[in-house]
Amino acid sequence: MMADLADKSDRVRFVPGQPDMWAFVLFETLVFTAYFGFYLFYRTQTPEAFLHSQAQLDLRIGVFNTLVLLLSSWSVARCVQSARAGAYQPALRDAYITAFFGLVFLCVKVFEWARQIQLGNGFDSSDFFTYYFFLTGIHFVHLLIGFVVLGVVIYQLRSPAPPRSERSQQLVETCATYWHTVDFLWVLIFALLYVVR
Amino acid sequence: MSAVITPPASPATPPAGPLHHRIAWHLSHSPKRELWLAWGTLIVFYNLFFPVFFIVAQVQPPPQPTWDLATQVHWFHERHLGIPVGFGIIFAIGGMNAINNALIAYSMRRMSVSRAFGYSYLLIYSLSAIPGLYLLCIALIVGTLRPERDPEAVGWLYDFAFLSFDGTMGVFLIGSLIWMVAILLDQNRVFPKWFGYLNLCNALTEVVVAPCWIFRRGVLAWNGQIAWWLDMVVFGVYQVTFIVMLFQMIRREDFGTGPLPEPKPDLARKKAAA
Repeated sequence: MMADLADKSDRVRFVPGQPDMWAFVLFETLVFTAYFGFYLFYRTQTPEAFLHSQAQLDLRIGVFNTLVLLLSSWSVARCVQSARAGAYQPALRDAYITAFFGLVFLCVKVFEWARQIQLGNGFDSSDFFTYYFFLTGIHFVHLLIGFVVLGVVIYQLRSPAPPRSERSQQLVETCATYWHTVDFLWVLIFALLYVVR
Repeated sequence: MSAVITPPASPATPPAGPLHHRIAWHLSHSPKRELWLAWGTLIVFYNLFFPVFFIVAQVQPPPQPTWDLATQVHWFHERHLGIPVGFGIIFAIGGMNAINNALIAYSMRRMSVSRAFGYSYLLIYSLSAIPGLYLLCIALIVGTLRPERDPEAVGWLYDFAFLSFDGTMGVFLIGSLIWMVAILLDQNRVFPKWFGYLNLCNALTEVVVAPCWIFRRGVLAWNGQIAWWLDMVVFGVYQVTFIVMLFQMIRREDFGTGPLPEPKPDLARKKAAA
């Protein structure tokens, strides 16, 4: 009986946070795979037009944003590590750093959108820019939700009465998983929109 | 702190025996019969809803947004029987939707969260039915039954119908998010947490339909691969999942206020019956 319980506990701890969040990760990955599939398919139909539009994107902005988001993933991972070790103040600091990187990403993204619109590359100006605004826009929405998720992390880390519960730690890890997913999806979007020529 | 109201043991226990005996018992004695009735209504509603739209009225999948006026008028003419019959059925059964929403609101009342969640959900989904269902039906029926109108007016109805139906899916966004938050906050284990996250996936695809107001062709048009086909797949998965989830909830319901008991394995019941 005890062995069964231990087995069950091991299975539950096999993934960080709630295993349920991984269902979300899987499902969203499938949905984005479909988006990417449509993008790649239509790209093969008119490769020159896509290349021409793609050349108007500034690769430096894409690289900068990717680095910013990777740094945010690093800081949220540090946050989880610190929380696991019971170091809640450093964990809280890392959560704020993550939010800061997220905010930088959002500001740069809005700047990039405004710049493209000024250049005459709107949502419906070409097939490539339709995908560009669509994919970066839906990712933007995911990132906005990420701020709510970071709010949950900060709330859990700031809540009084240590020692904090296992549930609280699990929530922190679940939220970090969401943040990593947003980062992971961005890396794919960056590769497809900015790098693949 | 919650006081658990324990239901009387014997009347709530279904008898062993053939399926039809058990169904008859549930109809006449089960304390859950109202819940089963609501769930059955949900099944009837969706079993009529989809065939009506796809087979009888043939208005889904949506036609091309780029058709010229003559083709649009012809499209209405081809459906001069299917649209009135199909939407007649929809107007007759549309009220069932209220029962579906009530069952979902009930699931939120059974949770350990504020009742405001259930009430908000009911209000939002009741209002959403107008742009999300009835405007389409009304516009298409008018277009079909007034064929002598100016083709410009018929074309306007064509646009109005599909833009109001597909382009306003965002009205369901907040409803899905309310259910999601309720599930994630709930400590009565009414639904698994992954179902809460699935609500988020569904809500996010509702956002994706909005660009159909801008695009008349391509993947984001009202009949596009992303705005319609992919969203339909996600919605289909979500739909089937929430019907099964509600079924499981009713099976587990004990009319208490604490955590819902885990489902009893069928094997144990069969053994007990034997």
